[in-house]
This record gives sequence, structure tokens and C-alpha cells, in this order.
Amino acid sequence: MKPASFDYHAPPTLAEAVELMARLHEEGVDAKILAGGQSLMPMLAMRVARPEVLVDLGKIKSLDYIREESGAIAIGAMTSKRAAEASALIERQQPLFHAATKLVGHRQIRNRGSVGGSFAHADPASEYPAVALVLDIVFKAVGPEGERTIPAGDFFVTYMTTSLESTEVLTEVRLPVLPAGTGWAIQEFARRNGDLALAGVATTLKLAAGVCADVRLAAFGVNATAVRLTGAEEFLRGKRPDRAVLAQAAAMAANDLDEPMSCVHASADYRRHLIRVLAERCLLEAAARAI
Amino acid sequence: MAIKIPTLPEQLPTTQPRFVGKEIKRVEDPGLVAGTAAFIDNLSLPGMLHCAILRSPHPHARVVKVDVRAAEALPGVFAVLTGEDVRRWANPAYTAPEGWGGYCIAVDKVRFVGEPVAAVAAVSRYVAEDALELIEVEYDVLKPVPTPAVAMAADAPILFEERGGNVIQSRVYNWGDVDRVFAEADHVVGNTFRWNRVGANPTETFGCICQWDTVDNALTCYGSYGTPRFWAMGRAMALNLPTNKVKVIPQPQGGAFGGKGGPRGTDIAALLSRKAGGRPVKYIEDRMEYLLAGFGQSWDRHYDAALAVKADGTVTGFRVRLIDDQGAGAEGWGTISVAKPLAAFTGSYRIEAARYDTVLVATNRAPTGPYRGYGPPPHFLVLESLMDMAARKLDMDPAELRRRNYIRPDQFPYTIPSGNEYDSGNYEAVLDKVLAMSDYRGLRESQARGRADGRLIGIGVVSTVEPGVFDWNAYATVGVQGIGVPEGAKVAFDMLGNLTVVVGFNLQGQGQFTVAAQVAADYWGLDVCAVKVASASTDIAPPSFGQGGSRLGVAITGAVLGACEKLKAVFCQVVAHLMQTTPEQVELMDGRLRLKANPQVGMSVAEVAGTMLGRSDLLPPGMEPSPEATFVWTAEGRTMPDDQGRCRSYLTGANATHVVMVEIDRDTGRTDILKYFIVDDCGTRLNLANVEGQLQGALAQGVGAALYEEYVYNDEGQPLVTTFVDYLIPTIHEVPMATKDFIITPSPVAPLGAKGCGEGAIHTTPAAVLCAINDALAPLGVEITETPASPHRLWKVLRQVAER
Ligand SMILES: Cc1cc2nc3c(=O)[nH]c(=O)nc-3n(C[C@H](O)[C@H](O)[C@H](O)COP(=O)(O)OP(=O)(O)OC[C@H]3O[C@@H](n4cnc5c(N)ncnc54)[C@H](O)[C@@H]3O)c2cc1C
Repeated sequence: MKPASFDYHAPPTLAEAVELMARLHEEGVDAKILAGGQSLMPMLAMRVARPEVLVDLGKIKSLDYIREESGAIAIGAMTSKRAAEASALIERQQPLFHAATKLVGHRQIRNRGSVGGSFAHADPASEYPAVALVLDIVFKAVGPEGERTIPAGDFFVTYMTTSLESTEVLTEVRLPVLPAGTGWAIQEFARRNGDLALAGVATTLKLAAGVCADVRLAAFGVNATAVRLTGAEEFLRGKRPDRAVLAQAAAMAANDLDEPMSCVHASADYRRHLIRVLAERCLLEAAARAI
Repeated sequence: MAIKIPTLPEQLPTTQPRFVGKEIKRVEDPGLVAGTAAFIDNLSLPGMLHCAILRSPHPHARVVKVDVRAAEALPGVFAVLTGEDVRRWANPAYTAPEGWGGYCIAVDKVRFVGEPVAAVAAVSRYVAEDALELIEVEYDVLKPVPTPAVAMAADAPILFEERGGNVIQSRVYNWGDVDRVFAEADHVVGNTFRWNRVGANPTETFGCICQWDTVDNALTCYGSYGTPRFWAMGRAMALNLPTNKVKVIPQPQGGAFGGKGGPRGTDIAALLSRKAGGRPVKYIEDRMEYLLAGFGQSWDRHYDAALAVKADGTVTGFRVRLIDDQGAGAEGWGTISVAKPLAAFTGSYRIEAARYDTVLVATNRAPTGPYRGYGPPPHFLVLESLMDMAARKLDMDPAELRRRNYIRPDQFPYTIPSGNEYDSGNYEAVLDKVLAMSDYRGLRESQARGRADGRLIGIGVVSTVEPGVFDWNAYATVGVQGIGVPEGAKVAFDMLGNLTVVVGFNLQGQGQFTVAAQVAADYWGLDVCAVKVASASTDIAPPSFGQGGSRLGVAITGAVLGACEKLKAVFCQVVAHLMQTTPEQVELMDGRLRLKANPQVGMSVAEVAGTMLGRSDLLPPGMEPSPEATFVWTAEGRTMPDDQGRCRSYLTGANATHVVMVEIDRDTGRTDILKYFIVDDCGTRLNLANVEGQLQGALAQGVGAALYEEYVYNDEGQPLVTTFVDYLIPTIHEVPMATKDFIITPSPVAPLGAKGCGEGAIHTTPAAVLCAINDALAPLGVEITETPASPHRLWKVLRQVAER
């Protein structure tokens, strides 16, 4: 289980990385960005990924930051998940993202794995893409044509595929600060602590005068990408979030799903059922938090 | 001269043992913690090459052509091995029963996914794997045999054509008047059970460095070998070498648990070395190779079983039909797992009669290997589940049903219907202690409260016997020959009185070096750290088996003590000669050889050893100047099996009762273990920490088998679980730290009274957890009889309730 041979570059600046990626692309060389390596390294070892060149972003210090900027939290793509987990700012201002981070793998993986890498990798069972859909996270990427921003709704294309160009470097993830009083929750079902989820749900729930004003609900681990469950969201608008209503919304969310994937641990039916259970539990948890 | 080995710690020549029976720090740990232990992958030899193996993607296919020309031409490649080389140089694996083994590289056909079809030795593993991509193999795909049902069908494709069918062995054993006890029973409680494949997963996979001596035509193998002599013999037979021309050097191992099936890996590396002109070749099995084909898969079983029960709860009969999916032949020694339950067939109970109807079947799954417990853990899951079903039928408390049927303390030594003799025990005392420790009544009350709130809470109370100290005769029913497994040790003092204990095995994790050091230290009045334990290679080690069969802790204790006794006799002669008295007047106590009549007068052990090596003029005439002795221990009183397989095989019977409380999430089917209690009795505990470690580790593996681990194959015989993403070994988050206690009923027949306890809780935990789950489900009128009781499976069971 050893990678096929590849060339390795570790440019010290973003500009050099972008330039290198552009040049390699022009030369027809298959190059891949290496961040924390927590997903890419096993793929290299199993030779399911065999790029000719790896461009390691590990030396680019300017991509490692967490800061508050005009009502948003900006996280540099190379910031480790462990740093996000340890950030008091994120814990206070964006508790949903913080809770999601703690569900990613184990401490060792969060220590090496980058925040940007998880979004770029777009694993369907990952927590982050669902959170991105719920929170309307905005991504910044830099390519040969300069910088552009991509809203979460346009970012995830399909199974492990994003709308990033192969020459683009994801540089920043911008999270909105969670408005005070907004309820939130994320729950997942995994076989063991730290495993990728068989099914999971993330939600935010805003109340106005005791009724749901804005509910965001997304599922992960079931389809090729994380999915917004808009039918249930709309159903809840203007309704009092009592047990029966939330249960009905959860059932709706599960019914609306495209046929879930299936694996040795969970059939499509079971996954759909889990989404109903988790959506109900999440909505209850979020409703209890909302004021 | 018969050597008498102390059967209790009090019989050691010391006023008070300082180490035996204590929780002392293990002598092997500093090197493990500091990373200086020489695991095989840390080792490299001059000129060494690296091996990579090309494996079959098909479960069943004829190998039509293997073209290795491009691989051979790749710079850095030194040798490529194919089935043609192997046909010329090697023999198929020896198996029991005979004739069910493949060559180390497929010759003519492949029988499981992951079977080696070619191998490369190159300057690095990277280059070797590059070369694999250049090998072209043409297969003629055959219809796969994915299950025993398919294998036994009349028109089934046949794995080993020369055998004429896929049934490896089919035998029925009758012990006592089984038909009568079932006819006379008030209740017959029966069920089917499916135990899915699980297996050993040591931290370190298999690895070796093999070097073929092309001048002497001899082979040296360094590697993670647990039973080095056995390996050496097997390699000699497979590679057409005299047994004394194969030298195996066991390195410290990162666990084994029965897995680490490296025969093919060793033979391949050896033949590559031969083909590469004698350069050493390293093969390190990677995790995917291990999971696919590393003998880490065991116990793939279909059971149909029943108990005969009287109205008062007396169990009189136990019958079992077992169809065991051995996978692609018997090369992994998985057959033994079917034989071993004979050593404890009826568990902790007085059951009059029993029947064991066994069919061992070959399929296109990976060949099965040994796994900690080697067969009884699934067997006890069946027996104990039936005990619980009987208790429900009789409306009896499951603990009380067990109590009623236990073998009583005054009945030992007790011969079970399947022939083995249990040495000692006090099962009721173990039960009482665990019931008190767990506040069993309180648990039942809280279960009742939980049930009233609609929660699915269950309690398991399960008792088992762990056969300890194996002997070959236990496996005679599948064709294993012989009686008397040897374990040798040499104790040797140097001129300055420092002691070395030489053994024929290396570290594997259980702590046997510590046991050897403890025993020797207490015997000679030394500090445990002052004793050096050295591992010898097979060409110079005394006869030895090594780790396996819940045996080595007891066996090495016997070996060290036997050698000590021999040496003491010599020392007494020396001292008697110097003091002008007779050896009978001299005794050893607390490190001094002294006069019985006048204990102030004596010599230290170091003085005696120094005299022997430095002053031959002072020795009794004709005495060798050798303060050393070797003793090879084996259990006495083992017997030849009769036609029903009955014999005295395993020497000791340890006993344990577990109490576990679980809760099932009704919505998701997920099981959480809320509480776990263990009381066990393995006789004298030579080292408290060692025993606790074995128990807790085996508990983890039991939890894995009950709830998480499973090698899944699809209908075509393709393995679907090939990485740790899907083979779910429970972690510290999933495994409860059990509350533990013990009682001590020493074995009257084993050295220092210690019973085999290395396999431990894996005998009990899967049954205990499954019984607790079914106790939780009982009010709903549903049950689960398949392992692992995964959330998905339990959800399907719970759905039956919803749909009613
Ligand atoms: C045992 C284990 C458990 C795990 N459990 C979870 C879990 O529960 N939830 C979860 O979400 N993940 C889990 N993961 C995956 C882990 O979170 C990875 O860290 C993450 O998917 C990738 O981040 P990375 O920095 O390691 O990226 P890498 O592995 O280095 O890269 C991943 C991919 O993203 C691309 N990429 C990375 N950074 C950029 C960038 N800045 N711009 C453009 N492309 C980029 C790479 O080219 C590559 O294709 C687990 C991993 C392991 C090993």
C-alpha cells in the first residue's frame, strides 16, 4: 500500500502556489493540492488517486487564521479543525459550526486535517457541507484569474466534487455569526465515535412570536452531497414548533429524500428512517434552544 | 528423576513471595513504551529487498496465464515469483484434515479474493508495487461458492477438484443417551443462530525478513512469529528443506490474538530470496492484505441447537448442529475451532448427555484462522442464549437457572460428557460475588422502572468455562496428531551470580517474560529486574511451542520452575560437598543454600554459581562446571481420544460470570452498554495486572463480536469489508471498563495453581451482551440470534414489532 511516484512542491506563498498550479495545468500535468492529507494520503496509498504532482499548502502561513470580520467569521483554508474547535470566538458566535467540528473524526484527525480540506473534499458523509448549506457559508477561492467567492448553494456539485476549478485554491471559509436567539442542532448516527456518519442532520431554527420564522434543515451521509430539506423547512414556516409538528416535519424531510445510498452498515431504507429520527431530535433540540 | 513442581506459591523456597501473585510492573514494558523493541519492520539487513504480492480479484477462477516480463524488466526489480516457481520448489500447505491446502502462490486456480498470484522482490516496496501493476494475469472466472448452502448443493462448483466435493469433514459425536434425555425432557428449547465472521486484528500485521542461504541450502526467517518452532517445521515441509535447516528468529510482536497468518508471506519471501540469489527479502503485510487474506477471519457459523430441560430447571441434554464455513480450505487451521469446544462443551453445567453434529465446509471466502478462544466463544453464545430462553420459558431468573445447573465444588475433578476433565472450581461462589458486586436485585429493579417508562433495558448473566493449557489431543477430531505440547526454559547463572532465563518465544503482549522473571526471582531470592529473560532462535531454543491455547503463562511457569528445581539439586550437591555433608541436609531459602540444621550457615546463590564456574577444584568429583539447567514442561495425564473424541485435553478450567446491563435505542436500534461486571476464577493469579489486562482486552474483542465487527461478503463471494473504515473494531469509547473482582480456587494440577486465562472474557462477553439484548427485547416478543447485533439488524427486528 504505497503511493505511485509523484513530484512534490511546497510553495511558501499563495501566489506561488496558484502560479504553479496554473503552469502545471498548462503543461498538461495532473497536479493535486495537499492540505492535511487526512483523506488524500490514504487515497494515494491505495493508488485510487495518482497525481503526477502534489502541491502542498502546508508552508503557506497566510492561510492559517480565524478572525471576525464585519459580522462574519473568516477561517483560512489551512486552519486545522483542532484550532477551530479550540476557538472561543467560533464556539460563542457560531456554535453550530463548532459542534460540527467536534463530530469530525478523532482529535488526531482534527489536528492534521484542515477546515478547507473538508469542504474541498466534499465527502457526502461529512458534517461540514450540511452545515454550509444551513448557514449559507461563503467560500473564497483564488485561481489564475484571481479571487472569486462561491456561495454554499453553488459549491457542492456531486459525490466528492465541488465547483472549484482544478487550478483553484480554496483560501477562505466565511461563516455568518449566528444571530442571537437562533436555535441550532446537529446530530448524526455513526457506528462508532468518530466514524463518518451513516446519516446526519443539521438545523437552525428562528422563532418570531412563538412560531417558526426561518428553519434551515440539511441532511448528510445519505445522498451524493449534503441536501437541504426544503419541503420540511417550508412546512414549518409560521407553525408553532410543538412535538407533533416537528415530528411531521421530520417525516416529511425523510420522505422527500432522493433514494439514499446503501452500504454494509445501513440500507437505503434504514438511512431514510435514521433521517426521520435525527431530524425530529434535531428540531426538538433546536426549538428548545431558540428564543 | 521426577521433578516435583510447586503447585502453590507457598511452596516456593521463599519466606514470602515478593513478585508472584502481585501486581508488579512488567519487565517488557520499558522497551515497548520507549520504542526500542525490535519489531520486524524496524529491522533491516544489508542488501535487503522488499516484497509486494499481487492478489486475486476473483473469488474463484482458473489462472490461465501470468506474464511477468514487463515487471522483471522494471529497474530495481530483482525477482518475480509465480505459480510455476512454486510448483517446482514448494508443497501445498499441510492441513488438518489433510489435503485442503493451497500453494503459497496460486497454482492453476485461485480460491479466494486476495489469494497471491505473483510476487516481486525489488529495491523498495514502492518499486515492488509499481512492478505488480505491470504483471498481466489472465483468469478464466469460475462460478463462485459464496456460502455453505451453495457449497453443499449437488451441482456445486468444487474448490479442490481432487477432493471431489466441498465438505472438508462431517462428523456426529454422541456423548451419553441424547435421544432419551430429549424424549424425557419437559421442555425442549431450541433455536438457530448465525455467528458472522470476525477475527483477530493485532496492531501489527504479519511481517518477516527471509534469507535463503544458497550455499548451505538453508533458510533463516526473522519475523513476528508467535510459535517459532511450529513455523520452522511448517516452512521446512512447505519448502522441501530438512527441519534443522530452517531457523526462525522470533521478533517482538505487536499482538497476535491467533491471527497473523504468515505462512504464505514467509514462503513467498523465502522463495523470492532464493530466486534473488540469497538476498534477504522483507515482507510487511499491509492492513488491507491482512483484512483480505491474513488469517484474521474466523468463526463463520450456522447453528441449530437445543437444550433438554426438566420442569424444575435441570438441564439434561444439549445438542448442536454446526455448519462451519471454513473458507477456501483448511490452510489457516480454522478447523480446530470446530474441535475445541469438546474441551468445554457443556460449559459450567452438569448436563448429562450431548450431541455435536458438525459439517466443515469449504467456500470461496478467505480461509479461516485461529482467533482468541479458538471456537468456544460462539459455542457459548449458543449455549448461554439457550439457557436464557429456557429461563424465560420456565419463568425463572436466569442467574438461578444457572446456579441450579452448575457443577458443584465437591464434584471436581469433573469429567464432562465430551470427555475433558475440569480440574477445580467454585462456580456458585463466583456467581454470588458478581451478583453482590453488581447489586443484581437493584439492576432488576431499575430495569423494571425503565420498562415502565418504555425503555428497552436488558440484563445478561452469563457463566462460562475457559479451557486452559491446550494439548494436541483436543484437536484430534479434525486430524491433529500427538499428545504433549512442550514448553522449555533454561535457567543459567553466570560467574557473578546474574540469572538469565532462556525461552523459545518472544514478546507478544501478554507479559510472559514478566511471568518467567517473577517466578525465577522469587525462586532464587532475586529482584525481578535482575533476571534477564532472553528469547532464543529455533536452532538453539529448548523445545517450545510459544503463545497459544491459553497456555503459555502456565507452561512457562512450569518450565522455569522445573529448571530451577533441577539446578537447585545441583547447587545442593555443591554446597553439601563444600560443607562436608549430604545434599539432603541442604536447602534453598530466600536466595541462600543453607544447612537445614543450622540455617545461619550457608552460601548465597551467587557464591555457589561463582564457585562452579571459577573453582572446579572445589566441586564434587565428576561434576560439570555448569550452573545451568533446562526443563521442558508439558501437562501430565493427557489421554488418547476415544472414537467419540473423548479425552483429557486442556489441563485447567477457569470460570467467569459476567453481568451486563444494556439499553437499546428503540428508534435507531443502537445498543449502549450501561454497566459491566466481571468476577472470575483462574486459580492463582501469577500477576494481577497481567490477568486484568487479558480480561479487559478480551472484553473489548467480545464487545466487537457482539455489536460491531463483521467480515461481510456479497452473493458472489466478494469481500465488502477490506479496511478499518468498515471493519469496526470498538474503541475506548465503545468498550466499557468493567468492574472486576475474583476468587481464587487454585488448580491442583498446574504449576503454582495457576489456570490458563489468556483468552479470558471473549468466551463470555458476546453471550452476555446478546443475552442482555434479548432480555431487553423480551417484553416485545422479538429476539435476535445473529451477531453482531448491529443497529441495522436490531432496527429490522424492532420493525417487526411496529408492523404487528
Ligand atoms: C479516521 C478518520 C475519520 C474521519 N472522520 C471524519 C468525519 O467524521 N467527518 C468528516 O467530515 N471527515 C472525516 N474525516 C476526513 C477528514 O476530516 C479530512 O481531514 C478531510 O476530509 C480533508 O481535510 P485535509 O486537510 O486532511 O485534506 P487533504 O486530505 O489533504 O485533501 C482532501 C482533498 O481536498 C483537496 N484540497 C484540500 N485543501 C484544498 C484547498 N485549500 N483548495 C483546494 N483543494 C483542496 C485535496 O486536493 C484533496 O482532493 C476522517 C478521516 C479519517 C482518517
